Amino acid sequence: MSHLPTTITFASEVKAIPGGEHLELCYSCGTCVSKCLIQQKVDPAYNPRRLLRMVMMDLKTDAYLDPTTWLCSECDLCYEACPQEIHISQVITAVKHLAVEAGFTSPLIAVSVDEDLCSGCGICAMVCPYEAPSLFEKEVNGEVDRLSQVDQNKCMGCGTCVGACPLSAIGREGVTNTEIEAQIPTPESKPPTLITFICDWSLRAEDDLKILESYPPDQVNIVHIPCTGRIDPQHALMALDSGVRGVLVCGCKPGECHYKRGNYAATCKMGLLDSLLGQMNLPEKQIQFVQIGTQDRGRIRHEVDGMLSALFDIKEAV
Amino acid sequence: MTAKPKLAFYWAASCGGCEITITELGMRLVDVSEQADIVFWPAAMDFKYDDVRQMADEEIDVCFFNGAIRNSENEEMAHLLRQKSKTMIAFGSCAHMGGIPGLANMYDIESLCQRVFDTSPSIDDSRGTRPQKTTTMPEGDIDLPTLFDHVKYLGEIVNIDYFMPGCPPVVDQVWIVFQAVLNGNLPARGSVLGADGRSVCDVCSRDKAETGFRINEFKRPHEVELDPITCFLTQGVICCGPATRAGCGTPCLEGNMPCRGCYGPAEGVQDQGAKLASAIGAMIDTEDPDKLQTILNTIVDPAGSFYRFGLAHSIMSRMKYE
Repeated sequence: MSHLPTTITFASEVKAIPGGEHLELCYSCGTCVSKCLIQQKVDPAYNPRRLLRMVMMDLKTDAYLDPTTWLCSECDLCYEACPQEIHISQVITAVKHLAVEAGFTSPLIAVSVDEDLCSGCGICAMVCPYEAPSLFEKEVNGEVDRLSQVDQNKCMGCGTCVGACPLSAIGREGVTNTEIEAQIPTPESKPPTLITFICDWSLRAEDDLKILESYPPDQVNIVHIPCTGRIDPQHALMALDSGVRGVLVCGCKPGECHYKRGNYAATCKMGLLDSLLGQMNLPEKQIQFVQIGTQDRGRIRHEVDGMLSALFDIKEAV
Repeated sequence: MTAKPKLAFYWAASCGGCEITITELGMRLVDVSEQADIVFWPAAMDFKYDDVRQMADEEIDVCFFNGAIRNSENEEMAHLLRQKSKTMIAFGSCAHMGGIPGLANMYDIESLCQRVFDTSPSIDDSRGTRPQKTTTMPEGDIDLPTLFDHVKYLGEIVNIDYFMPGCPPVVDQVWIVFQAVLNGNLPARGSVLGADGRSVCDVCSRDKAETGFRINEFKRPHEVELDPITCFLTQGVICCGPATRAGCGTPCLEGNMPCRGCYGPAEGVQDQGAKLASAIGAMIDTEDPDKLQTILNTIVDPAGSFYRFGLAHSIMSRMKYE
């Protein structure tokens, strides 16, 4: 019996990684692409279907350079839609794993740790949906110090760690505490009625954002955050303290978070904040967390109007 | 020969623990009394308020003021001592940020009085006795100080030069600060005394959780056998260490108890309780989203857990009473 020639194909490498074995089930229908928010909101070149084809066609370098390899945040909206039930994000993760091994790096801007501020509490490592931060030991001035470090290739930039870090030691351009706090009005700056913290993914359509932007700035201010996992109850309280009448945090529906668990982390934080306000006998309605789903186009107007009228009621009651 | 510095110690709404920490200096107090004149210390020596009133302004070099501001007497003494002192130190958690008395800011006076004078299990008084503001005696009327509608911290009503956190400040730090006072080398005004710029986690050597660990149930310290070498949070026990200033020497951690947060917010923390809610809220296990509320409900008293010593100093307290 003759030996068949064995060649290690790119596809077989991908399939050898747990999660990658689903690759061959794909018949390129493209349903995943139609579901993908990255394709719609960030990069039209983003295309899971095509990436899977690249793997099957042995186009290794093209796959490693393709944005699809790096931008997938494992939200798994495509997984639910795939008629073949392919866990596409796991296949993409397998490709990414091989890309990192081959020396390619993520084009995303990852969070970074300020080692002077880091206490090594490890909270970032516990809250990250992608296990990007981890603790390591380093000698600082003759003493062993425990610090956090971030795997740049795992970080998706959601900011969940930034919201959780007690000491502002971890941050990313655009979502550091200093940058968010600069957008919170001061009493001198004539605070608006309502400040909204909007997850960049929760308003799926451009016209939803336009609805929000159509309110006059003295009525509604908008602070963009990458995910409600970034929310920090301190900022909500600081806004109210400065004279803003209400805080609306707007995130994605359960099961639809772009970063897997950010909206759940926000649910817990906002739930705790609600309890704190309740214990202090302060009106809980001043701070609201709404979760807008992929099917909820236009709902933002209803939420903002509802909040504005609730705030009016609170003012009347006082 | 330069004159000895004049020191004053006062207690407002406090438990007396801050006074005990000073007496814990033991024989070192004799050194203090040799190098300084203690001109006012109601807890330990016989002085009257009138003695202070008769002093010249700024006659006292350093006043260590402990306790929160709960009533008109506390407030009057805070203003008087401020006027008579060159340097005013908010000493201990209550003066720094309201302390345990500040937890009363969750309630109104009537419900507090009901609890204290009517429904407390140790009270058996069918007559419903309440303290009276004014009582007429043969010698004339005597007045009780007026209770305020909320607890304030010292810095809220007078300018303070330093704060020295802790419930109580640990004795080693007290000694360091006393020596600085006696040697005339206190740091720049506005600094924190007897503490550290770092957080408690920075000085805690307990093992941290594995990456990706999440909390699926909160327990109170008495409900669980605590592991002495593992991070309390990974055991589901609320620890305020992540957002709390270091400098205490971690006696609670060494006693296998979590940090309660008495040294106040660490550098960079705006609001200790809200920051803890942000950090601890994000650590909750989200594997089963239907259980989030159940897990949250295992935090029995969020305000008391996250703001145990700092509620009067919190943004929420300011929102409520301003």
